[in-house]
Amino acid sequence: MENALLVGLSRQMVLERQMDVVANNVANVNTNGFKADKSLFEEYLRTGAHEDNFVSSDRAVSYVLDRGTFKDFAQGPTEQTKNPLDLAIDGDGFLVVQTAAGERYTRDGGLQINNQGQLVTAAGDPVIGTSGPIVFQPTDHDISIAADGNITVLEGLNRIDSVRGKLRVVNFADAQKLLKDGSNLYSAGTAAAQPDTVSKIRQGFIEKSNVNSVTEMSRMIEVTRTYTQIATLLQQQSDLHKSAIEKLADVPA
Amino acid sequence: MRALYTAATGMAAQELNVQVISNNIANLRTTGFKKQRAAFQDLIYDHVRRVGAQASDQGTILPVGVDIGGGVKTVGTPRLMTQGTLSMTGNDLDIAIRGEGFFKIQMPDGTFTYTRDGSFQMDAQGRLVNAQGNPVQPTITIPQNSTGITINAQGQVTVVLPGSSTPSNIGQIGLTRFINKAGLQPIGDNLFTETPASGPPQDGIANTDGYGDMQQSNLEQANVEVVSEISDLIAAQRAYEMNAKVISAADQMLQSTAALFR
Repeated sequence: MENALLVGLSRQMVLERQMDVVANNVANVNTNGFKADKSLFEEYLRTGAHEDNFVSSDRAVSYVLDRGTFKDFAQGPTEQTKNPLDLAIDGDGFLVVQTAAGERYTRDGGLQINNQGQLVTAAGDPVIGTSGPIVFQPTDHDISIAADGNITVLEGLNRIDSVRGKLRVVNFADAQKLLKDGSNLYSAGTAAAQPDTVSKIRQGFIEKSNVNSVTEMSRMIEVTRTYTQIATLLQQQSDLHKSAIEKLADVPA
Repeated sequence: MRALYTAATGMAAQELNVQVISNNIANLRTTGFKKQRAAFQDLIYDHVRRVGAQASDQGTILPVGVDIGGGVKTVGTPRLMTQGTLSMTGNDLDIAIRGEGFFKIQMPDGTFTYTRDGSFQMDAQGRLVNAQGNPVQPTITIPQNSTGITINAQGQVTVVLPGSSTPSNIGQIGLTRFINKAGLQPIGDNLFTETPASGPPQDGIANTDGYGDMQQSNLEQANVEVVSEISDLIAAQRAYEMNAKVISAADQMLQSTAALFR
């Protein structure tokens, strides 16, 4: 009976959620290693009330449902920072981070060294190498990170590099299964991490957010306009009811 | 409507970003200044439909879920401790460090602070002091009427005493290293103090064991690069504007909903 109102409402609820996704993308437009989310919709069919007196059969009412948000894992632009502890991953790989909750994965390569000399993320969680955390000695200087993730330093007055470890870089056959944990971290969920030998590490660069601001802005405009249109539609539908009630119920004296 | 609050976190983050960039630009000509940058992370996600959840008895799983993020947070403003360029000043008491290490300065309350700013002066007692008049450690006292102050790469200070023709050694300026120099706390006046994050200070001698060397008559410039700061500033400003637009778009949506009710 009130199908138009309910269909309109289902669209508005979905649009509101899409707006939340756009807002989160825009808020993270300057977050290093951030991957944008995109919304997916599907039609949700539901048979309405029956009326068998019509010649043709009833059509099912078509609602809209947001089926999911998928992560756009496209490479973000890289910016040169010349900071030896900044690294960008060229490829599908992720760095492995040891957090209190277990292993997490990140694309944010703005790394630091903590007071024990360990290589850590900006939040202080150790970045894991192929054989445990990467630890620097007090006399190390001139840190160099090779494309394959091999970390070497010059120790003291030595002129020959000493190896401090090799970054563990992993990728996922189905990266969509990764769960965003916030703090630029992903948890594996049902996905299985496998060693990545293809991705290249670029020292002195940082991967920026891959949010495309032009796309996000036009999507935002699209969302608001559609939302307003639906609101007008609901308004008209409601006016229709109103005048129907007024006119039909108008008992002549 | 969550979008309003999400965009508000974005605006707050970009405001801080501009603040950090403006401080970098303001210190463009500050000797020994090390630039900072704002590091952001995404906030917690609301997993409305969890990816990988079972979708049927047959064990099919959802290939994508509905994840709604809550915005952005600032995780820190790490300092980039890269080498600044050296500029020749010709002043005997200017020293630049090329490589690792900080000068150690004794404060009036007896504590130690650390700096990369090597524009030193002499005080009334002939001590080598920084611009605030606090002595460099270990204290170097330059005898009266001595000439030809020379500071070598190891920090050894030699002068020619009056009535003598050969230079004599009057002390050695030390350097201090930290395992995590980005963890030092800035206290203004180009000075840093030790924190639990920086690790304990390791005093040593320039040009040995990974310590940098000293360059007399040079000063280390700030490591701020104008071009990258300006492009970061533009990016931050635009990001701020876009977040503001999201707020007004969300407002517009709420308005059209409110208009339904008459």
